[in-house]
Amino acid sequence: MKDKINSILSEAKNKIIEAANEGELQHVKGAYIGKQGLLSLLMKEIPTLDVSFRPEMGKLLNQAKNEVKELIDGKRVELKLKASEVSPDFDCSVPGILPSGGGLHPITQMCYDLNDTFRSMGFEIFEEDEITSEMYAFDKLNFPPNHPARESMDTYWLEGHDSGSTNEKLCLRPHLTGGSVRYMQTHKPPYRFVYPGRVYRNETTDAHHERAFFQYEALIVDKDITFTAGKVMIKSILSKVFGTDVPVRMRAGFFPFVEPGFEIDMQCQVCGGKGCSVCKHVGWIEVMPGGSPHPNVLRAAGLDPDEYTGFYVNIGLDRLVMMRYGVDDVRLFHSADLRFLKQFR
Amino acid sequence: MKLSLSWIKDYVAIPEDADLKKLAYDLTMSTVEVEDVEYLARRFDHMVVGVIEKVEPHPNAERLRVCKVDIGGGESKGIVCGGINLTEGMRVAVSCPGAVVRWHGEGEPVVIKNSKLRGVESFGMICASDEIGLGELFPAKQEAEILDLSAFDVPAGTSLAEALDMDDVILEIDNKSMTNRPDLWGHYGIAREIAALYDLPLKEIRPFEGDVPSDFRVEIEDPDRCTRYIGVEMSGVGVKPSPYKMQNRIWKAGMRPINALVDITNYVMLATGNPTHAFDADNITDHIVVRHAAEGEKLLLLNDTELTLGEDDLVITDSKGPVALAGVMGGAKDSILPKTERVILEVANFEAAGIRRTALRYDTRTEASSRYEKAIDPERCEQALALSMKYFKEIYPELKVTGYCDNYVKKLERAEIDVSLSWLEKRLGKHLTNAEMEGKLVQLGFEVQIDGDNMHVTAPTWRSTGDISIKDDVMEEVARMYGYDNFEATEFTTTFTGDINQKDKNLIRMIKEYLANRCGMQEVYTYPWMNDVFVNAVLQNTDGILRLATPPAPDLSYIRSSLLPNLCEAVVKNERYFNDFSIFEEAQVFFDRDYTSLYDETESLPRQRRHIGAAFASSTKDITTLFREAKGVLELMPRYTHMEAYEFRKDEKPVWADNVVWLNVCLDGERIGDMGLMAKKVSMECGIKNLSVMLFELDASKLKPLKSRTNRFAHLAAYPETDYDISMLFDSGASWDEIYDTILGSKKASALLKAASFVEEYRGKQIPQGKKSVTIRLSIGSDEKTLTSQEIENAANQVMKKLSKKMGAELRMQ
Repeated sequence: MKDKINSILSEAKNKIIEAANEGELQHVKGAYIGKQGLLSLLMKEIPTLDVSFRPEMGKLLNQAKNEVKELIDGKRVELKLKASEVSPDFDCSVPGILPSGGGLHPITQMCYDLNDTFRSMGFEIFEEDEITSEMYAFDKLNFPPNHPARESMDTYWLEGHDSGSTNEKLCLRPHLTGGSVRYMQTHKPPYRFVYPGRVYRNETTDAHHERAFFQYEALIVDKDITFTAGKVMIKSILSKVFGTDVPVRMRAGFFPFVEPGFEIDMQCQVCGGKGCSVCKHVGWIEVMPGGSPHPNVLRAAGLDPDEYTGFYVNIGLDRLVMMRYGVDDVRLFHSADLRFLKQFR
Repeated sequence: MKLSLSWIKDYVAIPEDADLKKLAYDLTMSTVEVEDVEYLARRFDHMVVGVIEKVEPHPNAERLRVCKVDIGGGESKGIVCGGINLTEGMRVAVSCPGAVVRWHGEGEPVVIKNSKLRGVESFGMICASDEIGLGELFPAKQEAEILDLSAFDVPAGTSLAEALDMDDVILEIDNKSMTNRPDLWGHYGIAREIAALYDLPLKEIRPFEGDVPSDFRVEIEDPDRCTRYIGVEMSGVGVKPSPYKMQNRIWKAGMRPINALVDITNYVMLATGNPTHAFDADNITDHIVVRHAAEGEKLLLLNDTELTLGEDDLVITDSKGPVALAGVMGGAKDSILPKTERVILEVANFEAAGIRRTALRYDTRTEASSRYEKAIDPERCEQALALSMKYFKEIYPELKVTGYCDNYVKKLERAEIDVSLSWLEKRLGKHLTNAEMEGKLVQLGFEVQIDGDNMHVTAPTWRSTGDISIKDDVMEEVARMYGYDNFEATEFTTTFTGDINQKDKNLIRMIKEYLANRCGMQEVYTYPWMNDVFVNAVLQNTDGILRLATPPAPDLSYIRSSLLPNLCEAVVKNERYFNDFSIFEEAQVFFDRDYTSLYDETESLPRQRRHIGAAFASSTKDITTLFREAKGVLELMPRYTHMEAYEFRKDEKPVWADNVVWLNVCLDGERIGDMGLMAKKVSMECGIKNLSVMLFELDASKLKPLKSRTNRFAHLAAYPETDYDISMLFDSGASWDEIYDTILGSKKASALLKAASFVEEYRGKQIPQGKKSVTIRLSIGSDEKTLTSQEIENAANQVMKKLSKKMGAELRMQ
């Protein structure tokens, strides 16, 4: 009988280990220690044994029954902890609840990206007022007195301040460069600064032309700077913005406030330079004018152009952002349309 | 500007096998932006000259004809055509299958296919001039007129491009890229650049020589405005078409051929860049005087516009009055008419700025004025004269010059510049040999003398009208001709001392990042001009607001003194799509006062400030929630962005705000901003439908960044603190500030009270009239021990007692 008990016990232990759920465990319980269970049935055989064996066998059987019961209880706890708290049908593909989020305007984001890049190269950030005098918008930048940009069909003059001498005429700044002269006037060279800001032109708007748009000016002025120094600056900017080394080219360009002046083109990032509709099939896209500040501009800022030279670029932020995201209408930037702006969060 | 390559080749021998893509690229890199290179012949692919052999009626259509056309190679084809001028033996343009045409010169391009027209097979199409894009070169005299090419003596089957001299390449140049180069506004100028780029010889235009009678006079009143005027009086001319080659080139350059007299003047302008003009000599009385117009003087232009002139306008006159607006447009009176037999040719030079002012004043920019306003050198008159006379003589062999006068009143000084070679090398960052530099400069027309370190450069006349004036200009010429891309980038090595620590810039950025990333608001940009509707609704007053002299639209003349009107407009725009959103903008605002300048004592700029404005709009939240959200954003901002804290006060209601829900934001006793609920009336005037809108606006230039973070660490509580909520009835007008001050002000209501916070307030059902229930969360604890529940309750009771005593609050029965 002792052997029988042991074999039933080891059989029960195996069954308990194998039990995968509460149902199977109940079944094991019934089969071994339930009323008709094997161990319970053995108990009924005890009176048929020799008296001298009865106490020992009874004790053994009880121990066995208790052991099985304990194992079952233990297994039950184990099964409970293992089980999921929810139905197996729980759908893990339901979308997450997003943290409530706003966002910066895509042009602000671009501007901050550039600020970070330039700061890492030791540039200061400069900002200036948007209303300026004709003296700073044009005179100090070597624009001749009759230059067409000075006219009201190009520049937004302020009512009541649209006549008189150039220090009295006021306008919404048509570019940032006049502000750079203000910086140079009030700081000691050498200079290394960037100057982001919104500028204004009186023109007819369409998908590629805006009355208000953003420029990002970067200027270095020091002794002995070659006109090619700016290439390093330009490449840093574009690789930061597009995350890859972007081929650039400098070609002839004319702006009154630089000498020499350049148009700086980057390889079209849509077609990789092969030519596509975005780049009008030339493979290059005009991104910024640049050049060395004209000696007259340096003089206007109180510097000796025989001693100092520099390099300047003026990046059109709107166009860069349009390239970055494939935006095809510049007017969206000032639309305050949340359906547009939410896409850049 | 459009340039014909074959025309350029008149002046510079570009090799036949030249890579035109490279030519366009090189011109773009060094001189002007070539926007397009068009192989013109491609427009005429699958088009040939055909000869009509037979014209028969169409069996099924009265207006159509069935033609038998010889298209060369021994083939005759049947072509159905609706032309009204079809005759046997006529040469016509035939578009064979594959050719691209536009029906009646309009609409989308269509590819020609073999087809059946009203039951009759038709091979291709016999074309009208506008159907193949030649409407301006061969204008049709009436509807459905077929292009008659009988004048072109070519065999049937000749390709149309060859027959019409269209086997050419058109270079399209971006005009904006050459505003500073008056010498480039003609084929000759571009030819000169190409010659210099590729070391090719440039053909000279030989000056006009000939026996010229000189009894003809031209008077110039103001030598500053008209520096030179050559007049040539000729007889033996008349109105007839110019030779096809001339018409063809004028058309390729984007203008219309008119008649030989007009065409010569346009041709010469397109070749040399110097405009010329031809007057009908029989309509000119006495001699020509170039003078300022008298104030109020009238002039009827060629285009039938009558101008009332002013003193600043320059006019060409005869003894009876103005006959032309100098450098801009001829007058109607002296214009070339069919009966013209004698002409006076004008080859003149006018001062740029004056021409520009006049052209702008009358909104009459012409091919002539747009060239003069770039500042042409007076020496170029000679080229223009020579070329004009060449063509006059060719076209009118009977021509007689009856009068000639070259009144050259103000000679041009050529620019002379000394350049130090060591300076040049330093600026270029590269050593170029003297021969390299000199060679290119000479080809561009400069004279160069090198003496030791000094290079003495004399600019050609055509670069001396302002274009070249300083040594940097010379450096640019050298660098662009050498090729900007052939200079390696050199690093800049400026050394700076000190770090860059711009707290003011950082603060604005932190505020914007806080609003966007922490507060879930969207940054927007709006224009600086405000719509009158929103100015009136939100600001209700335009005192001290600046205006634009020429605004984008009549109702957009005010420029912002506050960000709120445009933010409200943005709310209106977005209400169509969203019912709960918050936006902010950071931008400059402007005030018509406090004029001053930090930079120049003669300058006076208005007050300009950087503001931050926000709108919280919702149709789903109640006013309290919306108010508390907006206020919460302002409350946390100083702490989050490291700036000095401001306080809320109720000193002066913002005009746009609701009578009750508003606050002033004050720093050091100064009002630096407002917040509040947009008043019902304002909201209605803005056109807001269902949204409640909470606004705030701060003068960010008044915000003060902290030097460093200042909040102090607090020790963690050694013994547990318990939250205990009490709800009490207060007078409806009692404020939270007052409640808070009563329990945690200078004298705490209980020594064990650590903190108190607002949970909610309630008015309405079960609350007596004139009362409100406020639920307050007390935080109770001790630094010495863990409190018993009795002690906690006692502390809470002390608080409630104090509230009862000081504020008359009653415990709310649950």
